[in-house]
Amino acid sequence: MLNIKPILSTLMRSKSGPVLLLLQIILSVAIVANASFIIHERLGMMQRDSGIVESEILTFNMYNFDPSIDRVQQNQLDQQLLRNLPNVMAATSTNMLPLSGSGWSSTLNLGPDSETAQSTPQFAMYLGTEHTLETLGLKLIDGRNFYPDEINTSLTASGKLAIVSKALVDATWPNESALGKVLYEGEDTQITIIGVVEKLQGAWIDSGDLEYSVIQNVDWGGRSYLVRALPQHHAELKQAITDVMLKENPNRVIDDFQSIKAVKESSYRDHQLMVTVLSMMVVLLLLITSLGLTGMVMFNIQRRTKQIGTRRALGATKADILSLFLTENYIICVVGGVLGGGLAVLLGQQLMQHYDLPQLDLLYPIMTVLGLLLVTTVAVVLPARKAANISPAMATRSV
Amino acid sequence: MFLYYVDLAWRSIKKTPVLSLLMVLAISIGIGITITTLNVYSMMSFNPAGERSDRLNAIQLWSQGVNSWDEYHSLVTYQDVMNLRQSGIPKAQAAMFRTGAAVQTDDPEFVPILRGIRVTDSGFFSLFSVPFLYGGAWDKSVDSDPQYQLVIGEKLNQSLFGGENSVGKTVYLNRKPYHVVGVIKEWNPQPKYYDPLNGAFNSAEQLFVPFSLTPIEEFDVWGNSSGWKFEPMTGYQSRLNSEKVWLEFWVDLPSEESRSAYRSFLSHYVEQQKQLNRFTDDKAAADSVQLSNVAEWLEMNNVVPEDNKILVGLSALFLCVCLVNILGLMLTKFLKRAPEVGVRRAIGASRGQIFAQYMVEVGVIGLFGGLLGLLWAWLALYSLSAKFDVADGLTNLSMSMWVITPSIAVGTALLAGLYPAWVVCRTKPSVYLKSQ
Repeated sequence: MLNIKPILSTLMRSKSGPVLLLLQIILSVAIVANASFIIHERLGMMQRDSGIVESEILTFNMYNFDPSIDRVQQNQLDQQLLRNLPNVMAATSTNMLPLSGSGWSSTLNLGPDSETAQSTPQFAMYLGTEHTLETLGLKLIDGRNFYPDEINTSLTASGKLAIVSKALVDATWPNESALGKVLYEGEDTQITIIGVVEKLQGAWIDSGDLEYSVIQNVDWGGRSYLVRALPQHHAELKQAITDVMLKENPNRVIDDFQSIKAVKESSYRDHQLMVTVLSMMVVLLLLITSLGLTGMVMFNIQRRTKQIGTRRALGATKADILSLFLTENYIICVVGGVLGGGLAVLLGQQLMQHYDLPQLDLLYPIMTVLGLLLVTTVAVVLPARKAANISPAMATRSV
Repeated sequence: MFLYYVDLAWRSIKKTPVLSLLMVLAISIGIGITITTLNVYSMMSFNPAGERSDRLNAIQLWSQGVNSWDEYHSLVTYQDVMNLRQSGIPKAQAAMFRTGAAVQTDDPEFVPILRGIRVTDSGFFSLFSVPFLYGGAWDKSVDSDPQYQLVIGEKLNQSLFGGENSVGKTVYLNRKPYHVVGVIKEWNPQPKYYDPLNGAFNSAEQLFVPFSLTPIEEFDVWGNSSGWKFEPMTGYQSRLNSEKVWLEFWVDLPSEESRSAYRSFLSHYVEQQKQLNRFTDDKAAADSVQLSNVAEWLEMNNVVPEDNKILVGLSALFLCVCLVNILGLMLTKFLKRAPEVGVRRAIGASRGQIFAQYMVEVGVIGLFGGLLGLLWAWLALYSLSAKFDVADGLTNLSMSMWVITPSIAVGTALLAGLYPAWVVCRTKPSVYLKSQ
């Protein structure tokens, strides 16, 4: 029905055109498959849930430069002032911002002897207060929050407690409850786990340890503050916070107001950029390939006008002519797709070897070939419909 | 003859506007994408030190204990820096880290601003060829005998003192008075090669203060501090005495001799420290030091992100697709004109002339494609900087691209045209004369 044999012999007669098309398809499949794979991987990264209410959290920096202030007291007073502001749902000090790309990270030992004890994976070390869970919008799934009188004001104080993310629990004590477990910092410092939150990401989005977080009961009086309020109140809050804080003590600089959503976007900006550029590349590549194909088919039709006319005169239907061109295209596409798929895998292996990319999923070359079949069908059908309309009389007229 | 061919080419292009437009578009898109990624890449991989790249060396020491870090850290400890600063071998040397403080002036109306500060030695300014507008670096003696002096940037000088010569004036950092000794002319190396660790494309600081003030002023560290073992931190002094690494140390070693002399000084130093029970790893002393020149330093600190290299590779492949594409279109177009070639051959044109004629036509198409591609690249870079907040330095179309782009475009087109032109110049006149 498809008359592959005569089509094949036509293709073999004038090789250069089909060969070029084949080459183009092979390269396109290799590029598009790898590009779409990277795009998919990055989009997946961007869609991960951070566990916090990103858009509701407003952060800012407060830099006190008056040497005479009592930092501990000032910090507690400042937080009280923050919580008293209208529309503020919760507020706390922090030592680092989630998803920001900078912060504190650490590992702790599971036993007192640092030589023999196993240790936790690298985790983000948040310092916070009894208000941290509410401010970040974290979901406590086990244990309890800090009590107000448990909050320390220095890292070296005793009575260290921690709330940890579930991912860290699963990685450290699989199938066990983490409550009451003790982590060791050096030999004498112990940190007791009192709670587990469902999810809390750290600061480094490209790290494999992103999901591992620990919140310690230290009110890190100093620089960064987190304020939870509905996004529509953020603009007025910026002004209100600056006014209140400067009124309380003018010897400080208050700046870097931004929501965690904005922090997140700027952290993911490079990935967003990669996705944009690669998507552009894929679209343009398909466009160029199909335009090239259309041009080629148009030329072939002109060259084969007589042949087509003769066929029509000998009884070929319009559909036969159309299927002739389509079959020709599919043969090239399938051969090109298989070879291109192979090249795509090779390219993927190179990328994986030299750069930090995972193994190319075979689904991508396959999807690309299917996509290409679809696009080229359109690119062929449009000019080929014209060919099908060549009347049989054409064949006889000019001979 | 050339101009005649150009004229012929132009006529031919006008005769088949759609096909020609397709070809120009194909080239221009390929070129546009390639140039966009290449431009960002070349900006990122630029070495601002130029010919001084080899003499400027960042020092790294294998100060970690057994079974801890398995790579050199980019930073070094305070105690090592203080010891290494004793050496007289380098022409200039500078320890450095980043801090920040609230900046005020004598003007009571001036609202305090928070600014990043580089804490460093007087050698910094000669090491990195920092140009001065007024005054100069603080005296070398300040590096060992601390004085409250500072150097400010032109921009900050503008906002603090309205741009006048401010040498001798006072700037307050966290309410401590510092005397201005120099004002730097606009200076912002990209990448920020003297400290690529805190954002390789961040702007250079506008404030520089003597490193010797560190133990007195206890400047906050606005950068990484890393430790390979647990050390309790009870105050600034414990940081200074610790094995934590948090400083960069650069030396200027102008000749090969000075480099090898310094290398042996370093291994001698490590030997000495080993006897003091530091540097406990069993590496040989000579293998426990690493000097990296600027090029190596930028490479080591991954200034050019991997993504960028992938993009350059993919866009080169993309250009290949465009090349194959125009090759096909060109072949189509030229074969269509085979009868015309037949006639020209019959009335005396040589194969070489036909070949030359078609190559000119291809070149013209390539040139158009290149110019259009430059426009695409410019648009793409412009929208990148607008939408993605990419550092301005990276999205300026570099001057060299104005030459490189058309060259690549014409080169690509000529490459793609070789085969079609060759096919068409081999046309036998008889075949076409017969069928007309």
